[in-house]
Amino acid sequence: MTAIPEATLSVVLLTFVLVVALLTAVVRDVLTAIVVFAAYSLGLAILWVLYRAPDVGLTEAAVGAGVTTALLLLAISGAVRPVSSGVFADRRSVRPRSVLVVGLVAGGLLLTVPALPPVGSVETPAFGAVAEFYLEDAVERGIDNAVTAVLVVYRGFDTFGEVAVVFTAAVAALAILGREVTG
Amino acid sequence: MTRTPFTDSPVVTTTVRLLAPFVLTYGLFTLFHGTTSVGGGFQGGVVAAAMVVTIAFALGIRQTVDWIDARALWALVVAGPVAFGVVALAGIVFGGAFLQFDVLPIAKPSVYATEAIEIGIGATVAAVVVVLFVRIADGYSEPTDPTSPTGTAEEERADD
Repeated sequence: MTAIPEATLSVVLLTFVLVVALLTAVVRDVLTAIVVFAAYSLGLAILWVLYRAPDVGLTEAAVGAGVTTALLLLAISGAVRPVSSGVFADRRSVRPRSVLVVGLVAGGLLLTVPALPPVGSVETPAFGAVAEFYLEDAVERGIDNAVTAVLVVYRGFDTFGEVAVVFTAAVAALAILGREVTG
Repeated sequence: MTRTPFTDSPVVTTTVRLLAPFVLTYGLFTLFHGTTSVGGGFQGGVVAAAMVVTIAFALGIRQTVDWIDARALWALVVAGPVAFGVVALAGIVFGGAFLQFDVLPIAKPSVYATEAIEIGIGATVAAVVVVLFVRIADGYSEPTDPTSPTGTAEEERADD
C-alpha cells in the first residue's frame, strides 16, 4: 500500500470499474456478462476498502461479487447460450433510444457532482457535531466500531426497517415462486 | 446447446471442503465481533450464506438443497425481526422508550442489546440468501453426467 500512491491506485481502480461496467453491457454472452459483473463488484469492494469503508467493502464483496453472481449463474443455467460469434453484441441490436436514455441519466447524475463538498473538507456534514457525539458516546457505551453503533444504537429504527425489508424479500420470493421450501 | 457434461473436479471439491470451515468461522467471527471490529450482522450473515452457496456449487446443488431443513431455515428467517422487536420492546418494559438500550438492567446494556440484534440480523440475512438460492435452484436441473447410472436430475425432481 505504501509503495503505490493512493491517488494512482484509486484512478486505476476507478478506470477498471468503468471499463468492466461498460463490458457488462456490451458483451454478447450472458455468462461472460455475469463474470464481468462480478469483477465490477470486486473492483468496487477494493475501492471501498481504499476509501476506509471496510464494512461496506465486505458487504460489496460478499453480496455483489459472491451471492449475486451465484444467483445469476443459477438463473441462467436453464437458458440456452447462443453459438458464439464474436465477443461483443451485434451493433445493430443496440437501440439508439436506449443509448440516449443512458447518456441523459449519466449526464444528469454527473451534473450534481460539483454540488458535493471536496474530499476531506471540514464543511462536510459528516464532520458535524452529530458525528462527534456518535464517536464519543459510542466509546462510552463500550462499542468500538462506530459503524455498528450508528446502525443499531442511534439509527436503530432505520435498521429495524431494513431487517423488515430483507424479511419481506424472503416472503415475497416464496409467495411469487409458489410452494414452501422443500426440506 | 453448448452445455458441457457434468464433471466433478477434485480440485474444486477439495478446495471447497478445506475452505468451508474457515470461511464459516470468519463469517461467525464477523457476526459476533460487530461491536469491536469491522462487520456485523449483515456482513457475517452474508459471508456464511455465501459459503453455503459455494458448497452447493462445488458439491451438488440438488443435494445441498435437499439437505437444508426447511423449518430451521424458516426459524432463522424470522429470527432478525423477532430479536429486534424483543430488544426494542424491552426498552419500554424497563421504563424507557422504544429501542432505548441504556435502561436495560444488565451490565453494558448497549453492547449486549446490539449483539443480540446483530445475531438476529445475521440469522435473517443468511437464511434469506439461502431461501432465494433454494427457490431459484428449483428451476435448475443438474447437467447430465454420462457416466452416472442413476438418470438425470429431471427424474429426481419428479420425485419430490
